[in-house]
Amino acid sequence: MKDDAFETLLRDALRADVKASQGCLADLEERVASELGDRRPRLRWFQWLAQLLAPTRSGRIGQIAVVGATAAIFLFLGVTLSDNVPRMGEGTQLSLQPVQSADGTQEVLFVLPALDAEDVAVVGSFNAWEGTDLSDPDGDGIWTASIPLSPGRYEYAFIIDGRWWGQDPLADEYIQSFGEYSSVRYIGRGGDGA
Amino acid sequence: MNRIAVRTVGIVMMLAFLVSGATAGASLSEFEQALRAIPVSNLDYILASIQLGMTQSDFPDDGLMRLIDRLTRRTASAFEKEAVLLVIARGSSDGLPVEGLVNQALEGLARGVSLQWIEQNLSERLVLLSETRDLLYSKGIFSGSQGSSTAATPTIPTLRFNQLLINISETIGDFLEGGGSPFDGYVLYEEVRNRLTMLEGVTLSADDVALVLDRIDASDLTQVALAAVS
Repeated sequence: MKDDAFETLLRDALRADVKASQGCLADLEERVASELGDRRPRLRWFQWLAQLLAPTRSGRIGQIAVVGATAAIFLFLGVTLSDNVPRMGEGTQLSLQPVQSADGTQEVLFVLPALDAEDVAVVGSFNAWEGTDLSDPDGDGIWTASIPLSPGRYEYAFIIDGRWWGQDPLADEYIQSFGEYSSVRYIGRGGDGA
Repeated sequence: MNRIAVRTVGIVMMLAFLVSGATAGASLSEFEQALRAIPVSNLDYILASIQLGMTQSDFPDDGLMRLIDRLTRRTASAFEKEAVLLVIARGSSDGLPVEGLVNQALEGLARGVSLQWIEQNLSERLVLLSETRDLLYSKGIFSGSQGSSTAATPTIPTLRFNQLLINISETIGDFLEGGGSPFDGYVLYEEVRNRLTMLEGVTLSADDVALVLDRIDASDLTQVALAAVS
């Protein structure tokens, strides 16, 4: 058999097969889609979101624009609000800060942690260096006393079971007096009192 | 008026009398009585200085009475006790504010340090007060009535001037007692500036603070400090 004759015979046979199966090919796409419909896995929320946000050639510019605009809005809000947010010590009242009365006198809180102490007092220029007792009613080792003081500068020290302790962590500064430390607090300056 | 009403009025009057006595400052006769209990040999001089000091509204009469009382109870010789009081008397006689000296003496007694140490400490502080006042005078800053005040030689009311004097001299005293060198004038100036600024608008006038900081410098403070340690 010559090659041309074989080619013709093969072509005719294939065309006959295609003609025979044409009915089966109709609606093939719909049938495949419907069959796959129930078998497609359900997307979790983040997969769905990722798919939604997945960059496409047409949407990339839009996404960049949305992100940029969001950042600009937050930046604007941050700068604007930062001037209006009350800072610590202005709008807020810390528990350790003195409460000022009408005549300028402030209730100044003296606090000292002394876990094993039995007797704690504070002495200073405000009480002529005669002890004012601190109390620890709940026995947690935090001793406190509230003393009314008029605006000014005060030197003081704690006496813990007879021992002087002049370095109060809440003091504004420390000085040395008679070879020992004393703490100093400024009352009435800008309402700090500490 | 029945008996109960009479008793009530009597009790109220007695309480009023006691309260008025407790709130009033110590009188000169009370000082005399307290000083005799030490006893002191220079009674007249000390009393005269107290009398002079009491003409100033910032004289610490209550604090001084406490000091005399605690000195009396202290176990020490009358000579040592009187030495402490004489330093304060010298300051008061010289027209200096002695509030800081009295406070320093009370602290020393509370700490239980020797009376010699207290007397030495007070003597240095007295020199500082005097030298600081001389410094302010030399810079044209005076205490007195507002009527005589000019831009070149401003006069500050006595109470305000005394507050400046106390705070500047005490800062120098604290600096030296903390181990600072008189030759660290710039550090000393910063210490003075910090303290005056902290009290600006509290117990010191902002104008007074600005005036002092404008007219004194580091070398001035070194001179004052050197006078105390020499």
